[in-house]
Amino acid sequence: MSTMKDSTDNPSTKTDVGIVYKKSTGIYTIHAAGRILTCVLSARLRGSLVEAAGSHGHHAAEHLDPLVVGDQVRFIEGQGGMGLIVEILPRRNQFSRRSAISMPTARPHEQVIAANVDQVVPVFAAAEPAPKWNLLDRYLVSAEAAELPALICITKLDLVQDPGGTLQDELADAVAEYRRIGYRVILVSAYSGQGLVEVKEALQGQVSVLLGKSGVGKTSLLNALQPELGLRVNAVSQMTGKGKHTTTTMEMFPLELEYSEPCGAIIDTPGIREFGLWLEDGHDLDWFFPEMRPFISGCRFGLNCQHDEEPGCAVRQAVNAGQIDPHRWKSYLNLRGEA
Amino acid sequence: MTRQSSFILTGWNCETEFRCLQCDGFISAYPRLSGVQNRNHCPYCLWSRHMDLHHPGDRLAACRAKMQPVGLTLKAVRKKYRSSTQGELMLVHVCAECGKVSINRIAADDDPHTILKVLEEPGHLDSYKRQQLVINSIQILRPSDQQIVMAGLLGRIQPGWAG
Repeated sequence: MSTMKDSTDNPSTKTDVGIVYKKSTGIYTIHAAGRILTCVLSARLRGSLVEAAGSHGHHAAEHLDPLVVGDQVRFIEGQGGMGLIVEILPRRNQFSRRSAISMPTARPHEQVIAANVDQVVPVFAAAEPAPKWNLLDRYLVSAEAAELPALICITKLDLVQDPGGTLQDELADAVAEYRRIGYRVILVSAYSGQGLVEVKEALQGQVSVLLGKSGVGKTSLLNALQPELGLRVNAVSQMTGKGKHTTTTMEMFPLELEYSEPCGAIIDTPGIREFGLWLEDGHDLDWFFPEMRPFISGCRFGLNCQHDEEPGCAVRQAVNAGQIDPHRWKSYLNLRGEA
Repeated sequence: MTRQSSFILTGWNCETEFRCLQCDGFISAYPRLSGVQNRNHCPYCLWSRHMDLHHPGDRLAACRAKMQPVGLTLKAVRKKYRSSTQGELMLVHVCAECGKVSINRIAADDDPHTILKVLEEPGHLDSYKRQQLVINSIQILRPSDQQIVMAGLLGRIQPGWAG
């Protein structure tokens, strides 16, 4: 590796561009033009990151390990499938959450989940574990904040459908509501294969990031889409009804569907128990609820309206008139309380 | 200001305490004091706030307007061997803005004198609100039902209690 370190000083050294598919404490798996390499950060790049972290007073760990799955990097190829990352290319976009704080005095920071993605795919189980719609609203708001489209996948459909194919009322109402707002919702069962074709079509040619609680069936869905992956899956705990955190690392997989065109990629994530919002400006939160947008300008207090107690609030009037779902409005209030 | 910082700075907990929209009184919604899980009405003036939409405590109503106590009623009981007059004594509230009618449990710390005043001087109900009562099968108790109310409030009728 020392020869590669020296070669970074030479501007004529040949570099290639690759994409980070997997990361594990300072070691990155890069895909580049059909090759798979194991790379580390160059000493010069790491030094510049340390300097940047010191001058900005930012969270050091984030800046010393700044790469996430989906990042594009420039690297120098070495021998034996090894490589040295010499440059991180600018991101097209990034999908983030607020970091969990270990101590009450700690300051939360932005935790980037994935970069350069085309769509966010929140995955929820129809049952076992039961869907948490307010968590879905968090994912959707984060996707709106990152200006990414969202594709909602409801898995384990076989657990809730009666023999006639009818859904439970609560689930059917929720699905209808999200579709009314404008989100695409796909009902799928990795067990019976129902809805898989629709999911494949929606993922084709896109870089998608799967999000969801542990045990909702993210990896099972991926296995159903591409059985040759053979990823490890597990049933939810009989004792707690929750997932067992079977997937522990974030990894991107190239999609190899039965199409001749480039099929994109899908990022499988470990189950996320908490998903804090990371917004630059809390006042814009209402804008990230698409169904509220037509009413925001109609409030008596204009853009300063919090849509809670204020008189003459057009959003609350829309909730009363049935134009906005009360659960979504309550989700907005909960999220605003955190902002 | 977030709820947490509000509590630290002022000692005011938005989750368990609120201020009455009608009489401006400070009210604790702590269940051990009131005996009810979802406190919406003031124990002093009995005015409430339109907070719930489908179920008690869901907090999904966007109306948020004041609700006037317009009378008392007995909650229908489905027990086979009990008469209809033995149901739980409930307050009837009507939203001042949207006209929504709801019945609410009387809390342990509600002022009994104010409850009896509601019985004696029920709020004015226009035809729409009266229709809402009929739709919801709510029958307002009349001043002549004072014995039933006293029994509901005190467990049994106390001789000599002025009311």
